[in-house]
Amino acid sequence: MKKTRSIIANIVLILLCILWLFPVYIIVVNAFKNRAELYENILAFPKNFSFKYYAEAMDKMEILNALKNSLIVTIISIAIIIVLASMCAWMLARKDNKLSKIIFSVFVATMLIPFQTLMMPLMQVLGFGRDTLHLPVVNTLGGLIFCYIGFGASMSVFLFHGFVKSIPVALEEAATIDGCTKFGVFWRIVFPMLKPVTMTVIILDVIWIWNDYLLPSLVLSSKANRTIPLSTANFFGQFTIQWNLAMAGLTLTIIPVIIFYLCAQKYIIKGVAAGAVK
Amino acid sequence: MKMKKMLSILLAAALTVSVAACGGGSDDTKAPADSNGSGNAGTSDQEKPADSGDEENSGGDAAAADKIIIFQSKVEIQDQLEDCAEAFTEETGIEVEIWGTTGDGFLQELKTKLANNQGPTIFNQAGGAEIDQLQGYCADLTGLDFLDQFAPGVLDDSTIDGKNLGIPYTVEGFGLVYNKNLCDASTLKSTDDFINLIKEQKAAGVEGFELSSEDYFLIGHIMNTPFALQDDPAKFIADLEAGSVKLADNDIFKEFADMMVAIRENCQNPLEQNYDGEVGDLATGKAAMIHQGNWCAGMFTDYEFTNAGLAPLPLAGNDKLAVAVPSYWSINNTATPEEQEAGKQFLKWLYTSETGKSYLYSQFGFIPLITGDTSDSLDVLSADVQKYVADGKTIGWPNRLWPASAVNVYFAPLTQEFFTTEMSAAEFLEALDNAYAEAVANQG
Amino acid sequence: MKARRKKDAAWYCLFVLPLVAVFTIIVIIPFFIGIGYSFFKWDGLPINPKVFVGISNYTRLFSDSRFMTSAVHTIIFTVIAVLLINILGLTFAMIVTSRLKTRNVARTMLFMPYLIGGLILGYIWKFILGDGLKSLGEAFGMENVFFNWLIDKNMALVALIIVAAWQMAGYIMIIYITGIQGIPDDVIEAASVDGAGFWQTLFRIKFPLIMPSFTICLFMTLSNCFKIFDTNLSLTGGGPNNATEMFAMNIYNEIFKLNNYGYGQAKAILFFIVVAAITLVQVSITKKKEVAM
Repeated sequence: MKKTRSIIANIVLILLCILWLFPVYIIVVNAFKNRAELYENILAFPKNFSFKYYAEAMDKMEILNALKNSLIVTIISIAIIIVLASMCAWMLARKDNKLSKIIFSVFVATMLIPFQTLMMPLMQVLGFGRDTLHLPVVNTLGGLIFCYIGFGASMSVFLFHGFVKSIPVALEEAATIDGCTKFGVFWRIVFPMLKPVTMTVIILDVIWIWNDYLLPSLVLSSKANRTIPLSTANFFGQFTIQWNLAMAGLTLTIIPVIIFYLCAQKYIIKGVAAGAVK
Repeated sequence: MKMKKMLSILLAAALTVSVAACGGGSDDTKAPADSNGSGNAGTSDQEKPADSGDEENSGGDAAAADKIIIFQSKVEIQDQLEDCAEAFTEETGIEVEIWGTTGDGFLQELKTKLANNQGPTIFNQAGGAEIDQLQGYCADLTGLDFLDQFAPGVLDDSTIDGKNLGIPYTVEGFGLVYNKNLCDASTLKSTDDFINLIKEQKAAGVEGFELSSEDYFLIGHIMNTPFALQDDPAKFIADLEAGSVKLADNDIFKEFADMMVAIRENCQNPLEQNYDGEVGDLATGKAAMIHQGNWCAGMFTDYEFTNAGLAPLPLAGNDKLAVAVPSYWSINNTATPEEQEAGKQFLKWLYTSETGKSYLYSQFGFIPLITGDTSDSLDVLSADVQKYVADGKTIGWPNRLWPASAVNVYFAPLTQEFFTTEMSAAEFLEALDNAYAEAVANQG
Repeated sequence: MKARRKKDAAWYCLFVLPLVAVFTIIVIIPFFIGIGYSFFKWDGLPINPKVFVGISNYTRLFSDSRFMTSAVHTIIFTVIAVLLINILGLTFAMIVTSRLKTRNVARTMLFMPYLIGGLILGYIWKFILGDGLKSLGEAFGMENVFFNWLIDKNMALVALIIVAAWQMAGYIMIIYITGIQGIPDDVIEAASVDGAGFWQTLFRIKFPLIMPSFTICLFMTLSNCFKIFDTNLSLTGGGPNNATEMFAMNIYNEIFKLNNYGYGQAKAILFFIVVAAITLVQVSITKKKEVAM
């Protein structure tokens, strides 16, 4: 009885998930159709599975170069965000004085600013950095990374902060008594315990940075610097879209993220305890 | 002590990571340019354009920069433009970099970049309200020696206070795009003819006429005609803005509103249709006519459909096609003088040299604007546009004199209301008057 | 003692300052520059004139009926969407942390929509909720329930809520999962030994213990829903007749379509103050309910 119920539950769950992913089906099949076929029936299975639109999309996107740029930006930005935000959040949570409260509130509050209103002034700041301080911040991947650290700070600090509060202080105090510096306490004791939330932050940031179009479109201009979302821009005309290329491009864009997610997810599942034992 | 040592190591490590990261990031931006070998090695030059002069000039004018940047919004010609740029580099040694964008995001990106001194050398603008706003960034092109080769009139809209601020791309026309297997829209002489035709088609089980939900395809283009049919469209618009005339009192507009009501009653709801769908309907014979322009011919290819034509909207007996320059190349006057010079050379090359023209006409599919030139590689609809131009049977696009983005922000929502309710013709005109006044007021 | 405090302060700076510095340059300074512009009448291009108009951009806001209408839409949308997203996200999180064999596959599939970024999803949903629903209605003779929702004022808002929920439920699920994983097994075991049923365990034990996740998720969904833009633009474009025009889109139109940069900034600042007030109240309420472990 119990067994059949569990089988039914499993089947129902998977069916629901498939329904949930119905829009993804539309993306996948329409990467194989031309305009006439798509017009005829958007849901139909493609008449032939020729990968020519994929090949064309890859060629137009200069996919290797775009992939490399996206990887550089995503990996470096996130590494720095994790290091700086976890340190900052831990200190803010543990030294719970007025200053910390203010800093934390400012971080949180800025998550509510619509990006569109920061665009123009941000470019002005970057322009100042380039023209007056002669820093290579415009049209360079370094400049883009710098922006991502700034924009990613709020959410990461917010998530880390919430998590730090839920882990016991006792271990840290013990380590301090043993003569460990703050740095040592943080990296040897606290950071390993932050693993689940670190993975969460990494996953959310990877998706955000990997798919982001607007910020790179402003900071980067030249073709050599294009990230993956920028490289698909030409498929989107003002009134119509080259559907097959756009869908193929979108599939190519998300495959790396899915692979990454599949590799990373098992780390989320490991609990806090696993980190604390070490 | 031990802790202190560890701390300093960690600190040093953290610093190296961040420094290496930043440094690595900017280094890498140069690396791909070099390794690509496609001649993009100048990536870093554009950050400080003034320094680029010390490179040896492999050709061209001594005062011209060796690299220019083009940023333009017509993504349909982007690939061809890149090939064209390569051909230009081969002939002159001036490198051309083309930036990419989506059709929708272009203007916002352009403004942000221009505003912060990060603009391209050549960009495009659509005249009208757009040129008004951007004219501070458009270099004066009046002295260029090939301007006199353009057909009369095509430079008018980009000439402000006697200065030419933009070179026209081409001309485009819109009106009734029709499927010749089903009807001949060029024989329509009046609004009544038009309404009869859509009723006939409806009875035969075909969509007689379709609009679609995109703001311009819903109202922006079709409402151009009653404006263009006024005795002096520019004066009419000025009077309208001043509040001395009302659309509701104008006979042509009354007829237009009746036509819109007939469309609502006899055709499918345009809000349920999109550009792709209406072109599909036309090409597969499900619709006899759509309100579109010659640009949509590019979409016929996949349907292997060619038996189409373009005819005027016969409102109030109109027999002229709405034809104008859709976009202009402008040169950014905040670029260095050397870059501006190179930009001018590119435009001259594009419109006067053999190679340039071959790209313009056969690759971009543009209708020629240079006096004496004709193109035999035009698609079916562009050929019709060229014919109407040759016969002098054209009206302009006064819709560009409307307040900026009035179509998107004011007229389209109102038209959505019109097509989802029982609003009468008179109410529609009244609402349009109000929307127009609001758009003018909000213009600041 | 003094030396110790100095040292503490140095540690504090070392940990907090680097991020705060970058953050200030990228977010805070531009934000204040933006506030500055809200007192000008300007189209956003430095070459064109800036006219100082004092607070008139702000006073004008209150008579801007379209802006106020978009405020109402945004609030209705946000309240419903936040509830729906959190209920879905929490339910998903509980299902995929259960003992079902298919939980790992399910988790990946439920999270997938969030992996797909960009405008294109809006276009795909446009098809599903437009043509798709219409043909469904015709096929089953239920035209009054299933029709093109996107051309109906009320249903277009529902459509927007559905798409937002579809996209964000998986994202919120991840954060709830982190919270649920954090509940020590012995607490649950102790509860079941004491004879607590499913609902009792859920409401008395699990929910109080994942309160921090509630705080985070509510905040994230609130701020994301208030700022919704991409989906709004690609799914409904604000239509029909502005019935689904949200705050962010209204501001965007003002700045980039109508070229009223200063006025758009003023809208953004007001918007920010309102949203900040609402969410800070929310955070402080849920924070109070958090239990220390």
